[in-house]
Amino acid sequence: MNKMIYIIATIGKPFADLILYAGGMLNLLIEIIFSLPYSILRLNLILKEIYFSGVKSIVIIAVSGWFVGMVLGLQGYNTLERFGSVTMLGSVAALSLLRELGPVLTAILFASRAGSGMTAEIGLMKATEQIEAMSVMAVSPIKRIVAPKFIGGIIAVPLLAALFNTAGIIGSYFVGVTLLRLDQGSFWSQMQDSVDLHYDVINGVIKSAVFGAVVTLIAVYQGFVAKPTAEGVSNATTKTVVSSALTVLALDFILTALMF
Amino acid sequence: MDNQHDVKIVTHMQNDYSVIIENVTFGYDEDRPILKNVSLKIRQGSIVAIMGGSGCGKTTLLRLISGQIKPQTGSVTVLNHNISSMPNRDILHLRKRMGMLFQFGALFTDMSVYENVAFSLKEHTNLPECLIKKIVAMKLNAVGLFGTENMMPQELSGGMARRIALARSMALDPELMMYDEPFTGLDPISLNVSAMLINKLSNALNQTSILVTHDIESSFKIVDYIYFMADGAITSQGTPEQIRNTDNLAVRQFVDGEINGPFRFDYPAKLDYSKYLEGYYK
Repeated sequence: MNKMIYIIATIGKPFADLILYAGGMLNLLIEIIFSLPYSILRLNLILKEIYFSGVKSIVIIAVSGWFVGMVLGLQGYNTLERFGSVTMLGSVAALSLLRELGPVLTAILFASRAGSGMTAEIGLMKATEQIEAMSVMAVSPIKRIVAPKFIGGIIAVPLLAALFNTAGIIGSYFVGVTLLRLDQGSFWSQMQDSVDLHYDVINGVIKSAVFGAVVTLIAVYQGFVAKPTAEGVSNATTKTVVSSALTVLALDFILTALMF
Repeated sequence: MDNQHDVKIVTHMQNDYSVIIENVTFGYDEDRPILKNVSLKIRQGSIVAIMGGSGCGKTTLLRLISGQIKPQTGSVTVLNHNISSMPNRDILHLRKRMGMLFQFGALFTDMSVYENVAFSLKEHTNLPECLIKKIVAMKLNAVGLFGTENMMPQELSGGMARRIALARSMALDPELMMYDEPFTGLDPISLNVSAMLINKLSNALNQTSILVTHDIESSFKIVDYIYFMADGAITSQGTPEQIRNTDNLAVRQFVDGEINGPFRFDYPAKLDYSKYLEGYYK
């Protein structure tokens, strides 16, 4: 009987933890939504967050986008060459980037660069009683710290994804046209023909905004629940990156199924 | 030594109480209470110390008064509001009339000294920037740190950070100030200056001050009344003079700093230390 209880408890605990985790996040999301009317007026705080999470991520996003674009150009060229369709390279690169690679990889990079930073910042603020001090000073930490980060994330990720896509397209152009001598007219005209503004570009932007919201939510939640120790904050930042990456990939599948 | 202390030294003291705690029980876990049936009253304008050994529930009591936690039983009335039954939004509003000095200052590390002190003023008032600058300068001058406006918290010593935090908590001239271990880790000069500042500011603003402290010498110089806690309950209370002359063994041990007495210094280990060294336990 005891063994049976042990087995049920062992299997049940991860589910119970998952429900608690999801409940905690939902609770935080509701608090953030109620704080939005106040926080949206604090433009200086939102701009500060966009600067820290967005502007400071420009280099990593642009460089990553450039290399991903070059790999796409190289792989695409080699594959398309077998079917005699190398002129489709521009179209393949643009659609791959706009629909999938841009939003997904940007969100994962954002989680690694900015999300982990947000978790560490909030975790350390908690450990050094700064969150408590703010609360005792009659200022809601959700309104003052969390909501501006959330809004900043929703704005920054689509902009960073646009940068990633641009750098990626330039990277594939560099490999396809400059190095492999593909006709540049074909590259651009095929891209122009196949990419639809609403269907491809806008859907990509929506995906990025959703990913931005999810990654920021995970990051701030992990910061708030982090144990106020060095090890606790370190674990929380790791959890932010891992949870964000898995959530973004799972959500990408759902959004793709709904959108395309 | 009755429950309602009758301090006669503050002439402008009014008859009402800033804090009334009645039969409060609280614990983070259901089966491990930290506060057990605690009752106390703190008169407006007085300086009161809450003393006791580490882990006796002093800081928890401060958290109850500031409304960060709510009692499981009993009531907490602060500035004529029963915060035990108040919604969080109203508690947040009431906190504009309170200030708290944290043990290590808790300055916002991404803000300069000026931004830290001006924080409450910017969040809760519509004062023009030029006026906020003057108020910040006044507050910094009051703690002897005028001229440090552009410094960052990382550039300050521990004592300076504590004084900046004091200036920050005083920014809105609160009616009730709470100090969590204000004298811990300070050098003798900073310690005396801090005690003098608390006394001066409290008298100047007719402010009620609650000090959670271990420092007997410094606090006895400035406080009107002392509540002594042990194991989550108030075991003794009185004026500094009454506490000095008490025959309560726990208080005597604490005041005299004796190792032997009701307070156990050693952890109650289940194993015998000598036998452990001899390898008795496998």
